[in-house]
Amino acid sequence: MDSIQKKVQLEAATALVSALEAGDEEQAQKQLTILTQAQESALFHQVGTLTRELHESLSNFNMDSRLADLTNDIPNTRERLNYVIETTEEAAHKTLGFIDQTLPLASDLKQTAIKIDESWHRFRMREMNADEFRALSKEIESYLPTVKQHSEQIHANLSEMMMAQGFQDLTGQVIRQVINLVEEVEDNLVRLIKVSGHPNEHKQKDNKPVDPIKAEGPQIGAKNNPNVVNDQDEVDDLLSSLGF
Amino acid sequence: MKILIVDDFSTMRRIIKNLLRDLGFNNTVEADDGLTALPILKAGGIDFLVTDWNMPGMQGIDLLKTVRADEKLSSLPVLMVTAETKREQIIEAAQAGVNGYVVKPFTAITLKEKIDKIFERIDEQG
Repeated sequence: MDSIQKKVQLEAATALVSALEAGDEEQAQKQLTILTQAQESALFHQVGTLTRELHESLSNFNMDSRLADLTNDIPNTRERLNYVIETTEEAAHKTLGFIDQTLPLASDLKQTAIKIDESWHRFRMREMNADEFRALSKEIESYLPTVKQHSEQIHANLSEMMMAQGFQDLTGQVIRQVINLVEEVEDNLVRLIKVSGHPNEHKQKDNKPVDPIKAEGPQIGAKNNPNVVNDQDEVDDLLSSLGF
Repeated sequence: MKILIVDDFSTMRRIIKNLLRDLGFNNTVEADDGLTALPILKAGGIDFLVTDWNMPGMQGIDLLKTVRADEKLSSLPVLMVTAETKREQIIEAAQAGVNGYVVKPFTAITLKEKIDKIFERIDEQG
């Protein structure tokens, strides 16, 4: 409130008190009107500001067709999050499966090595007769190829476990997309609260051109989409059709 | 043979690095997107580039185009290893001059096959 207005109000208030004390009803009424008018003018000013803000928010809101798109993105997000659950579950099972396969191999190698080590020790101490030595030789003979086979299998299993960790990249890309969507929803909700309603008024104005090669991360639920390849073979087919 | 691996996920870089080591390629360097990869490439000494597509900063497809447009790097073999599976994208990569395209999730065998094929072609071309 500016100082002039304050002065006018103060004068009117003082005059109102004097008029009431003097019993001058006409004068009191006049001063009272002055006081109310000042207040009304401040109120109108404030309503005006609010209306303008509301109008601006509404105009900005109308231009944002992303909000309409967001409605379509929500079911898609559910699918994406399910993809994350399935992919992580699959990777965990795959890894655990290979661990289950590998542990007995390692323990088999260890058990036989302990047995041969004991016999070898007895041989070195000259505590072994010829028959026992022949048995030991046979054991060693069959053990060495087993070591080779088992260690090859262990190496292969470890590689598979490593490949299974690729889920982190794939699900990470999807989770990033969901984070972006949540941020957009949050942003739009804040604006929605600002304009307090009228969601039906928004128009689809800016139809941005779609970039056909925009990076999208793993395709989810696109099994029947002819525009998406489903495996490496299809990639190879497409590339060879291009003379690759 | 020095190989540059470009992927924004450190887990995937590690997987590719380990696979390459299994294939006998022990000399690898890493970058997490096109922008960090370019100075490494421009510094010279890289013989092979393995890159993801979807990365913040500079994407793999733009890195590929930049490499092909660079006089010194234009003949560098580039293998794309990506989750991008739209036909337009694969065609775009082929037109931009990619040497191989592997889709994630991939197997060790696929990666080996594609790398072998790239080298076979390079040998054929002399």
